[in-house]
Amino acid sequence: MAGSSGRRSPRVVLAVGVVLGLLYPIPLQWSGYTYFQTVGFLVLINAMLGVGWNVIGGWAGQFDFAPQVFFAIGAYTAAILFVHLGWSPWLGMLAGVLAAIGICALVTYPLTRLRGHYFAISTVAIWMIAQPIGATWEFINGSRGLFIPMQTGQGVLGSIASLQFVGRTKALGYYYVAFGLLAVALWLVHLVERGRLGFYFRAIRDDQEGAEGIGIPSRLYKVIARSITAAVFGAGGVLYGFWALAVFPEQVLDLNWSTLPIMATVVGGIGRLWGPVLGAFILIPISQIMSTTLGTGPLAGRGIDLIVYGIIIVLIAALRPTGILSLPWSRWARGLMRRRASARLVGRG
Amino acid sequence: MATLLEVRSVTKRFGGLVANKEVSLAISAGEIVGLIGPNGAGKTTLFNCVTGYTHADAGRIVFAGADITRARPERVSGLGIARTWQLVRTFGRMTVLENVVCGALKRHARVGEARARALRLLEFTGLASREDVVAANLTLADKKRLEIARALATEPRLLLLDEAMSGLTPAETAAAVELVRRIHGELGLALCVVEHVMEVVMPLSQRVVVLDDGEKIAEGPPAEVVRNDAVIKAYLGEHYRGRR
Repeated sequence: MAGSSGRRSPRVVLAVGVVLGLLYPIPLQWSGYTYFQTVGFLVLINAMLGVGWNVIGGWAGQFDFAPQVFFAIGAYTAAILFVHLGWSPWLGMLAGVLAAIGICALVTYPLTRLRGHYFAISTVAIWMIAQPIGATWEFINGSRGLFIPMQTGQGVLGSIASLQFVGRTKALGYYYVAFGLLAVALWLVHLVERGRLGFYFRAIRDDQEGAEGIGIPSRLYKVIARSITAAVFGAGGVLYGFWALAVFPEQVLDLNWSTLPIMATVVGGIGRLWGPVLGAFILIPISQIMSTTLGTGPLAGRGIDLIVYGIIIVLIAALRPTGILSLPWSRWARGLMRRRASARLVGRG
Repeated sequence: MATLLEVRSVTKRFGGLVANKEVSLAISAGEIVGLIGPNGAGKTTLFNCVTGYTHADAGRIVFAGADITRARPERVSGLGIARTWQLVRTFGRMTVLENVVCGALKRHARVGEARARALRLLEFTGLASREDVVAANLTLADKKRLEIARALATEPRLLLLDEAMSGLTPAETAAAVELVRRIHGELGLALCVVEHVMEVVMPLSQRVVVLDDGEKIAEGPPAEVVRNDAVIKAYLGEHYRGRR
């Protein structure tokens, strides 16, 4: 009995989470104050990126500090195809994901000769190379970037098809698209984790020589892991570009597109499917709420939100380095249920 | 018996140090060969050359007709050589079952099949009760046993054991020897066993190869090798001869 409830309870939590997630923006829509819908959008997009980063960082154990390069590649690919050729953003997303995977595979293969800190440093170097390219390449308008012309006067279906939500429904529309993309990312990464890839990634993380000794080509699987991460970041970049209606280097190559997802993953639970979701749910609202509440008061502009961030990270690193999800939640839940059951018995007696 | 592995005058240098000097040896299908020698004799280097973790500077290594002199470890594994390590290399954050599943996935692409195969191997190696334990929490003896199970999961024809019994208690050593005998007897694998403990390797091996200072100094049945003067001088010492 305890075993079956142990399996069922995560599903109940998941179902409740999905329902709450789907209902969340509706009262906000009525009230007309859509700011918290945008906060929700940022939570979801960072959660999605964290879910993607978990593949290279959590399972394959390779610290990739520059996945934002693939975020930028996705955003630019879809924006160029839309602006110059009039491609649908969804086709653009497919192209952006494929471009991110292709470039990632080409760039990452040589880097996999490096291990540990050196691999991490080399990923940062790739980001540093990407910045001047983004700022000076005339084909993508250099540092001015690309502006995505706004399309107004579409119905609901038209807005979904063109990935453009304007006016009063803007925050609402992008919230649900991000929700859907996060669900897709979770599902894909779940399949990866459960399958042969997940086993091989973790084997390489735990002992690369040991993994090679049982026939796992470690370099190939590191490339595959990072390419999956790149695919998720590519899709995220497309979504963000159309939300922002602009793609320019300083924005899509911003360091925050790696630090926030990585921090969300570490805080929530690295190497756990839902870790980044929980982490983003904690970290992003704190940052947003802090910057709006303290941003106007006497403490304005002092980066209080960043200080709180720092403190949370330090606390979790010190108290629970494997993340919040690694705490014995199911045991606590079972204990709580048992206490309630015994309380009922006592009441009856 | 058909020759499975053939090492032909392999030389391996690390800078000025010659770790293996024109070492030749052959292992037939279904044979147990003991590889002995004092510390630094070049036993592990030879294993590394055979399994592709390092490559010989000269000489050739042929396994089942394929030249593997310059092959990568994953190719050597695919051809049918599995190994264990002197310092264990289990996947510490994965469970015992998951460790073995990783090995089985090479021949069974579907996780379900690999899992079934892994469970049978845990049964065979006596680790079935530990299936859900995280590998880092095992005793050394069980870690070494797990490495063997994981290696067997790749379905090799030749298993190289690098000091599978070092650091074990006498009881654990006896259990490990028993396991090696069953791998040979029931699975019919060829084995090459590097070992320091003479009492273990001598009765276990059908043939013993002795390395000293990177060179092969003797080869033959255990009973002959222990009487070989060069071997006694280099490695076994007067003590062992006295006891015969």
